[in-house]
Amino acid sequence: MIYKEPRFLPGGDRYMLIEFGNEMNLELNFMAQGLASAIEKSRNTGVIETAPCFASMLIHYDPDKISFKDLGKEMQTLIDGLGPSDDIELDSRLFYFPTCYLDPWTKACVEDYSAKIKPKKWDPEFVAEINGLKDVQQLVRVHSGTEYWVASLGFWPGLPFMMALDPRCVITAPKYNPARTWTPQGTVGMGGASTAIYPVATPGGYQIFARIPIPIWDTEKRFPQFERSICLFQPGDRVKFVPVSPQEFEFVEAEVKAGTYVYNVVEYQRFSVRNYKNWVKTLNKNDRF
Amino acid sequence: MFEVITPGLETTIQDYPGRIGFWNQGFPPSGPMDSWSFRLGNLLVGNDAGAAGLEAQYIGPTVKFQRDGVIAVTGADMQAKLDGQPLPMWESVAVKAGQTLAMTASKVGARGYIAFAGGIDTPPWLGSRSTFHQAGVGGMEGHALKKGQVIPVAKAKGTPGKKAKPDCRPVISTDKSWTIEVVPGPNDDWIDEAGHKRFLSTDWKLSAKNARTGFRLDGPDWTFTEKATKKAPENGSEPSNIIDQGYPMGAINLSGQTPIILVNDGPSMGGFINPYTVPSATFWKLGQSKPGDIYRFKSVTVDEAQALRKKLNAVCSPSSII
Amino acid sequence: MAEKVETMVPGNVWKVLVNPGDKVSAGDTLFILEVMKTEVPHMAGEGGTVKAVHIKEGQEGVDAGLVAVEIG
Repeated sequence: MIYKEPRFLPGGDRYMLIEFGNEMNLELNFMAQGLASAIEKSRNTGVIETAPCFASMLIHYDPDKISFKDLGKEMQTLIDGLGPSDDIELDSRLFYFPTCYLDPWTKACVEDYSAKIKPKKWDPEFVAEINGLKDVQQLVRVHSGTEYWVASLGFWPGLPFMMALDPRCVITAPKYNPARTWTPQGTVGMGGASTAIYPVATPGGYQIFARIPIPIWDTEKRFPQFERSICLFQPGDRVKFVPVSPQEFEFVEAEVKAGTYVYNVVEYQRFSVRNYKNWVKTLNKNDRF
Repeated sequence: MFEVITPGLETTIQDYPGRIGFWNQGFPPSGPMDSWSFRLGNLLVGNDAGAAGLEAQYIGPTVKFQRDGVIAVTGADMQAKLDGQPLPMWESVAVKAGQTLAMTASKVGARGYIAFAGGIDTPPWLGSRSTFHQAGVGGMEGHALKKGQVIPVAKAKGTPGKKAKPDCRPVISTDKSWTIEVVPGPNDDWIDEAGHKRFLSTDWKLSAKNARTGFRLDGPDWTFTEKATKKAPENGSEPSNIIDQGYPMGAINLSGQTPIILVNDGPSMGGFINPYTVPSATFWKLGQSKPGDIYRFKSVTVDEAQALRKKLNAVCSPSSII
Repeated sequence: MAEKVETMVPGNVWKVLVNPGDKVSAGDTLFILEVMKTEVPHMAGEGGTVKAVHIKEGQEGVDAGLVAVEIG
């Protein structure tokens, strides 16, 4: 449900959580990111930082500069100023990532989990089955067939949570229970309706079926994309996973190691919610690649 | 300016308020858990309250000074000794090149702090010297202190003999029990009336599974309203599951039926509800508690929590130093 | 010389390396606690014979300052 009026909820003495709705709906994230952008432009001195999430936004504010009530009033004004979510436009970078689907590394990880923790069907087979897909090949076509929208970052620094923009490519996957104790760095996985990339080898609960050889996190800042921060992504970025072979994966991995890899980023586009929604209207959601 | 002879259990460089402005990339603020003791230490040696210093956890380090300086030891009593002689706490002390400061295990409280006149001078990461060791960021090479490292400290005079007024210091509980203030929300409407009553009347035990990422609590099960039990499936299958949302620092995060207080190095978002949040002025109590300690929660309003913060900030100022 | 080896930190008992009757030398590791995912070894200060062991491997949530091993 998209709430008629956003809810302003307190988080202790310094945080406000703004809930736009309670479902996985891109529209809610567009509103959260639109508000984050408007806050930045307004140069509100009471707001220290914001963190948009799927259907909500967390605000860290300075109680010495603004009260919780006044912050709520200002946020309502900014939200009203955004107008209908259709009017929202955001600068949005697009990343092309060479991606090895059905890769040997995540397969070995799942086999390790099966042997040590709980027997489990190989994740791509499991995900294909529960989504009514023909086989793992179709899973690859469907998962890689859309751009992904970076809705938020978190849980681990630099870890992006992404949603499929093309409704024909929406699939879902339950999480592991219990969770895995490790995941290969660069793994691409799915939990619920969101896709994530593991920036380092952390424990995790998403279904895993692909891997990228490119760092999305670089404490050494070896590539120009990390000049601003050691994390590659910001909310509002988009990602296209380009299926490649394990050989191509290893080639790119070597380029990364040598420091010669060049990130494929498209940086001139502006994402228009109206144009996006008009395009979605033309599609038949039941079509599958 | 000092060499690490033994690192202690987990001793890290922290500054206050920590790493701010990167929450939307998943970076927690880190910083000292007991910022009350930390800030007083800095003020004692003549630093800004937020300058970088050391946080020692459970067992303190032994360090050898390579030049003269002024330090202050605050927080939990780790029996600090300078060249074998007991070093007074809550006081600025002159140290000379070649002297050794040795600290051991704390008997009362969990975290001790060492401030150095001039402040620790390691390269800042994303605007802060605080250590976030899970990600290898900040501090000394991204991690806790290691034996043999030489830690740089900026040069500054500092005046020995300054004292923190006794009634301006935190009083660490000696009976293993604490009253912890909490503000209801953000997700308090997911818990039913009986659940709220139960939470606020239970003696919760701090589990041995506790660290700067989160403090796990042992106690009774929670009970929920329809918000938790009748929701869209994409929220998740457990009553405490919610569509992934940002987590306030200090949130009491309900992972299934296990409450975990998210603290300085905790996750910035996730898929579980936060029915209550510990306000910033109460964090020092979390920082000084040990596994086995009992927490009794006291509900306060946002206004009351903000008043506590204002009061604490006023105490962490030069007016507390004589 | 009797020695009472106390736990230095609150935590879980990860390993117990001695039994009553064992002969130990100064510096031998008697038991290892775990707190914040860090191992904290506890050593004998002096040599002697282990008289009593008051903790068990796998024991969770022991207090700091507890007499864990007695050496006579």
